[in-house]
Amino acid sequence: MTDIFFYIFSIAALAGAFGVVFSRNTVNGAMFLIGTFLSMASLFVLLEAYFLAVIQVLVYAGAVMVLFLFIIMLLDVKESAARKTSLYTWAASVIGFGILIVGVVAINSADSIREKAASLPEATGVSLKSFGYELFTTYLLPMQVTGFLLLIAMIGVIALSKKAKAD
Amino acid sequence: MSPEFYQKIAETNQWGAIAPELALGILALSLLLLEIILPKVAHGAIPRIAILGQLAILVYAIANSCSGACVTGEAFGGMLFFDATGELFRVFFLGSSVFVSYLGMVSLEKKTLPQVEYYHILLVVTAALMLLAQANHFVMLFVALEAATVGFYILVSYFRHSVVSLEAGLKYLIMGALSSAILLFGIVLLYGAGSNPALEASSRDPLNFGNLEIFLAANSGDMLGLLGMLLVISGVAFKVGAFPFQIWIPDVYQGAPIPTTALLAIASKGAGFAMLLSLVQVFSPLSDWLVPLLSALAVLTILFGNFAALTQRNLKRVIGLSGVSHAGFLLIGVVAATKVEWATTAVMFYLFAYLLASIAVFAVFAHLEKEDDSEISLDDLGDLAKKNGFLGMALAIGIGSLAGIPPLAGFIGKMLIFVAALEAELYGLMAVAVVGAVVSIYYYFGILKSAFFEVWHFQDDDEDAPEEAEPGASLQFFGKVAILAAVAGTLILGFYQSPLSSWLSGG
Repeated sequence: MTDIFFYIFSIAALAGAFGVVFSRNTVNGAMFLIGTFLSMASLFVLLEAYFLAVIQVLVYAGAVMVLFLFIIMLLDVKESAARKTSLYTWAASVIGFGILIVGVVAINSADSIREKAASLPEATGVSLKSFGYELFTTYLLPMQVTGFLLLIAMIGVIALSKKAKAD
Repeated sequence: MSPEFYQKIAETNQWGAIAPELALGILALSLLLLEIILPKVAHGAIPRIAILGQLAILVYAIANSCSGACVTGEAFGGMLFFDATGELFRVFFLGSSVFVSYLGMVSLEKKTLPQVEYYHILLVVTAALMLLAQANHFVMLFVALEAATVGFYILVSYFRHSVVSLEAGLKYLIMGALSSAILLFGIVLLYGAGSNPALEASSRDPLNFGNLEIFLAANSGDMLGLLGMLLVISGVAFKVGAFPFQIWIPDVYQGAPIPTTALLAIASKGAGFAMLLSLVQVFSPLSDWLVPLLSALAVLTILFGNFAALTQRNLKRVIGLSGVSHAGFLLIGVVAATKVEWATTAVMFYLFAYLLASIAVFAVFAHLEKEDDSEISLDDLGDLAKKNGFLGMALAIGIGSLAGIPPLAGFIGKMLIFVAALEAELYGLMAVAVVGAVVSIYYYFGILKSAFFEVWHFQDDDEDAPEEAEPGASLQFFGKVAILAAVAGTLILGFYQSPLSSWLSGG
């Protein structure tokens, strides 16, 4: 059962990724990206990393994508006509694809990795509860500092953008 | 994990031990509150309240600095580590922020910009830097560093009517984000390597400096660990402005408002070295790689900083590039600290001498009364000594100390670094440092030459020229005290080092 879901969501994630690359319309591309993020979140659920899945949906599919769409709106990108791919783009994509192939082959052919993986203790997803405990005990001080960081960022935006006083 | 386990961790949150940082945060918030409460006519008092408040915290921090009863060791679940060096950096950052607040008061007074926010952000940045100097965990280090850096982005572009200031802000934002990304990538690699249960001495919390040091000692050949170390050091080198990560310095120093330039030159550099001193300890198992890396950085930084400063005529660029070469000297001290224990004290002494000299120099720049402070060049110093003897004296002492002229504090600082390098048998580094010091005298004395020797005037031009404000016209009581204290400190440290050095070595 899990295997079937794994294949379904993997294919969905890949299809979304191809959609991002090949869509001419930037808004469509952004929508495909949301699809990829959601499929990735489902894969995390299959791995029992529920917290990561929730974060993936909230932060990436939610906040980051809204930001992307805002920028697309502000830049007012027209549907781009087919552009000539430059030599650099070709070279970069060939090299990148080559590295990907080498990586996949290396991982599949190295027995030592698989043997090691079998002997490792099973990774357990962080539960939301223990995450919360950690945040408010061990990492309490960094969290408070983060609060101040957000405060000065907000104040800075206001100070840099508000209209000069009339006097 | 049981709630009891977390309760035990929570008990290590000793808020009393970070009282100066807490007080700074509260002061920062109350400044905003005061702006709401106070009537408009009384708003001029807010900068003074900020300065007096910081002075009170500074006195408290000095009085409490390790007089036997201070907390030492880990606290906040391993986030912070209290020791004598941390206490010193607290005093260092507080001293620089008091002075920067004064400069802010001088240069913001004439502008129609939001005033209180500058001090608010400055105080938060200072508190973050103070925590950064005591960080014992990469999460704490990164969060504190980001809090400070975000504050810097705002402070650099604060004069938003000036195109140069905005450009500097944008450049700093992009370069800062890039360096943070490099640093973060390094931290993630270290986390991945250190938490791998298949390796010896791995731990559940590998971002803790102590745990990471144990892990690296057991796996000193680990590729991920080495790569992580390289990236983390590169990220920090960005912050101190070491070659080849110094490209942002001249433009950002030039465009930023003078108080922010002073903050970048003093506090940001100090923060970088606070991080380096603790990271050198963490990465000490990798010293076969770390020492050559830092040595190469030091050599290139000294040579680049000094030779690039030779051709500059803009004062802020000169000081920025000379700051690059100072970072090189300090890097030699850091390299020496891997072999000689007291070299840390030498680095601290150098930083304090640099702080005092920079205070004098930047105070003079702020009082040159130029309308556009990104365009202060050597020519604007013309006849400074004649027009205002007090500022001329401060400039002479400050520049002399930066150049390392005996008997000023800067000379003793350089000498301590040289002696430390000698003891650590870093002869090649010493030779480069001597060359750098000699070259630096050329441009430092170029500054003094234009301030002290007669400039040729075409008499008839002067009648048409609009009357420029006299240098030092806005010099206030605070400013005189700050300059006098910096000058006196520079002179006294040149003759009597024992009080500071015994305090520095935690005696």
